[in-house]
Amino acid sequence: MLKFLLTRFATALPTVLGMSFVAFAIVALAPGDPVQMELRAMGVVPKPEDIAALKAEYGLDQPFFIRYGAWLWRALHLDFGTSVATGRSVISEIGLYMPATLTLALSALFGAVVISLVLGTLAIMAHRFTATGVRVLTILLVSVPSFWLALLFIHIFILNLGWARLIGDGTVYDLILPALTLSLGAGAALGRFVYERAYAEACEDYVRLAIAKGVTPVRILVCHIGPRIIGPLTTVWANALGGLLGGAVIVESIFGWPGLGQLILQAIGQRDFPVIQGYLVLMGLIFFAMSFVADIVVILADPQLRRKVSND
Amino acid sequence: MFNSKLATRLGVAAVSALVLTHSVQAETHLNVAVKADRYSIKSDKFTFTTRRPAAQIAETAVKPDANFNPSPLLFKDWEYRDGTYTVTLQEGVTFSDGTVFDADSAIASLKLYDQNKSDFLQLDQASFEKLGEYQISFRSEVESALVIENMTHRGASLFLPSDTMADNPIGTGPYTLKSYEPKKQITVTRNPDYWGEAPKVDTLTFHFIGDDNARMLALQNGEVDVIGEVTPQMMLSMPQDGSVILNESRPIRYAALMFNMLGKAPYDITADLKVRQALAYAIDRETLAQVLYGGKGQAAKTILPGWMFDLGDDHAKGFGFDTAKSNALLDEAGWRAGVDGIREKDGRKLSLRMVAAYPNVSTVKPMPEMLDQMFAAIGVDIEIIEVDDSGVYNDTYFGPGAADMYLEFASNNNTDPTYLLYNVFTTMSPWGYAVTSPGGNVDELAKAARVASSRTEAVDLVRQAYKSIVDEHTSTIPILLVPNFTLSRPGVTVPMSEYADWIGYGDVTFAQ
Repeated sequence: MLKFLLTRFATALPTVLGMSFVAFAIVALAPGDPVQMELRAMGVVPKPEDIAALKAEYGLDQPFFIRYGAWLWRALHLDFGTSVATGRSVISEIGLYMPATLTLALSALFGAVVISLVLGTLAIMAHRFTATGVRVLTILLVSVPSFWLALLFIHIFILNLGWARLIGDGTVYDLILPALTLSLGAGAALGRFVYERAYAEACEDYVRLAIAKGVTPVRILVCHIGPRIIGPLTTVWANALGGLLGGAVIVESIFGWPGLGQLILQAIGQRDFPVIQGYLVLMGLIFFAMSFVADIVVILADPQLRRKVSND
Repeated sequence: MFNSKLATRLGVAAVSALVLTHSVQAETHLNVAVKADRYSIKSDKFTFTTRRPAAQIAETAVKPDANFNPSPLLFKDWEYRDGTYTVTLQEGVTFSDGTVFDADSAIASLKLYDQNKSDFLQLDQASFEKLGEYQISFRSEVESALVIENMTHRGASLFLPSDTMADNPIGTGPYTLKSYEPKKQITVTRNPDYWGEAPKVDTLTFHFIGDDNARMLALQNGEVDVIGEVTPQMMLSMPQDGSVILNESRPIRYAALMFNMLGKAPYDITADLKVRQALAYAIDRETLAQVLYGGKGQAAKTILPGWMFDLGDDHAKGFGFDTAKSNALLDEAGWRAGVDGIREKDGRKLSLRMVAAYPNVSTVKPMPEMLDQMFAAIGVDIEIIEVDDSGVYNDTYFGPGAADMYLEFASNNNTDPTYLLYNVFTTMSPWGYAVTSPGGNVDELAKAARVASSRTEAVDLVRQAYKSIVDEHTSTIPILLVPNFTLSRPGVTVPMSEYADWIGYGDVTFAQ
């Protein structure tokens, strides 16, 4: 297992490095000078020496690869620099928003998992008419854009019923609507996956044998099919969490949820290079971590793979 | 006996309840929705609580009067002679921690701004002198005669120097900081020892809500009382049932079309003055004014409104809507109608590239499309490039001069009359506006204005410069003048200012 973990880490290194390079290059080569933009936004009339001093302060006067090398070295020490806009360290900036986004993404994932299992199970176990209805509902939920759903919820639950508020203080109560918005779409997409995997397994010989032995459908699903599909499902859930973390931008913005989406939108607008770079690397690392965790779960869930890794 | 005791107790209870009710009613709290948290806590770029609506804690030395001339605030009066400013300070002023605002603390506060890399006051650090308990003098390190004017900028608010400025800023303003949650909200509460007239509202909370739609919905849902930053899209989506009230200032911002004056092919067609004038006459400003900004804009003859600096409404003639004149000018310039309706000259089509807009196209929508139609009516083909990002606008199109025309939406929010002129309409522009500047006499007028011996002389030179830009060079075509807006719920009245940083949120009134 240790060998597997080390190998997995080693193979991930070039990916992480490549990702860091892309994150740095995209931002560094994008049009817009953060120094000029900052000065003009403040109504300041810069002298050439002011601009030069600020560029030197942010290291923008150095050649690209030297800047990248220096940035990478600092990033390895978790120092992504200082936000041009706020004066706080990038880690502090991310730290301000991260809890809200993590809470939202994890809640949405939990909701999505529950919805996916319910929809997937219903689709496979219900009568043909009901199953068709569930599949239509799934397609509908997958197709509806999250921003539209968000606005619909706002109009129904906030403006008409008054059950929720837009300016929350980060309590669980304020989390319900944005989490539900995210989890419905993601849950529906995952539900289709649950249905397809379970349906494929249902055609296997061991399921036929269980049916022949008179095992109840629920028991077959939970005790026989469930363990077989939990590995692939974990991989999909892990990827979904990454997607929810990155994809929550619009929903966060509409609900005024103070998450990373707000941070990155503002940072892009202000060309806050250090923040954008830090955010991109962080998101890449989260994706990597999720995929890593999924790999381990897949191995643990599959006896054959577990034996193979143990023997290696 | 029993009855009298009971009556007394009931009386006391009634009076207490009355007092309690009265005090509860007197406690006022205003919730304001603003866009993103833009504050910097860096000591050399400190903007926390000095900029934007939350600028209630510290005050500037002078404030803009109704016509954007500097008027007394912390400086009682001032004189500029032979490069030296002599200032008499307001007496009876204290910082919120009790420190007296006198010559010593004023000099210490002013010196803070000289440590700033982005300092625009440019004070000579060594020149500060204490002339009396309430009198100081100083010089500009660049011999500027307009330092006092620049002190009306909220960015030049005076803080008491301290090591904890980023956590606990101490100023002389009507409010003190109660709490600041970065990216979420900032709350200020009334300074009980404020030296000036006490504000009407006890507590102000500014909520940072980046999304336009979310701000509007929060207002409609009664979660905020006022929206401090309003975009044209919000005005378009504003409910018309009276549930949202629009508050507006006098027109301050300009929407204008600026021409590429570098004259390099293929963007050299508008180097011809007649073409620029023809385009200027082709714009139906009244129609644009009805469509954009909820019909609150005004057709513009000039770049700056006439009330500003007492420039006068007729400081430039400007252009009316006259397509016959446009067609005649283009004919004179040799551009003849082609078979497809687009004018041609020597086999070249009259096709122009228009980039919209600074700071982003959302601020002027749907003006680009409307201008396209208006120019098509006189045989001019327009390639519209819509840009929603000022970085792309500057780096890709404006800086390299890669277009014929640039649509901009901006304002002069500084009481220095040369500020906008010098920075946006001269070839000396530090912001790269040499591309659209006519140079020549305008440059000379701007330079002269900056070293004028009196404000009257400076304003007169500025007036001549703007007249020349519009009427003589037509390097910029004024289109609309637009007020500054806020939105509020019914019953809330916001005392507006043309300058967003000077809106008096503390003096908002609530209807009974």
